[in-house]
Amino acid sequence: MSEMLDAEYYRRLEELQQLDFVLVELTLYLDTHPNDMQAIQQFNQTAQSRKQLAYNFEMDYGPLLQYGHSYSRYPWQWSQAPWPWQV
Amino acid sequence: MNNPMPNSQMVNPTTNSQIREYYPFIGPFDPCPPIRVKTYVVPPNQFVTFQPMNLPQFSPAEALRLGTLWPAFYSNYTSKRRGEVMKEGGHEE
Repeated sequence: MSEMLDAEYYRRLEELQQLDFVLVELTLYLDTHPNDMQAIQQFNQTAQSRKQLAYNFEMDYGPLLQYGHSYSRYPWQWSQAPWPWQV
Repeated sequence: MNNPMPNSQMVNPTTNSQIREYYPFIGPFDPCPPIRVKTYVVPPNQFVTFQPMNLPQFSPAEALRLGTLWPAFYSNYTSKRRGEVMKEGGHEE
């Protein structure tokens, strides 16, 4: 995608990053607290929000992941900069 | 302390600050000016043997900036060289 990256791009990417961090924290917590039902619910809800957010992001800005973990439009989008780690 | 689990505030039991000091030996042949007081940080997780359930949480945005999801485990970083503090919701200044 050669279009300019707007502020919306960065806002949504940061939102994704925030949810990812919550998921990291909850994962570590649940490793030692496997019976915390409330935390598991929060984990699953956050995972679902993250999935939704990532899906919408990819629909607008192209794939976040390679090797079949994201979809692509025609023509093939992965070969087009910017890649997620360049922004 | 007979209760290994700290209170809900999880305040450092000896001092409210997470920063502690020690006084190193100063040798007479040190080529540099001696640093008489050195400091180190004792973060709050050192006083929690097992994390209680249902602790209050930061918002995801705050958590990402502050490096923890739980305020009880927040430990800020101050650069001694430039006296910077990581502020909530922003980069160091």
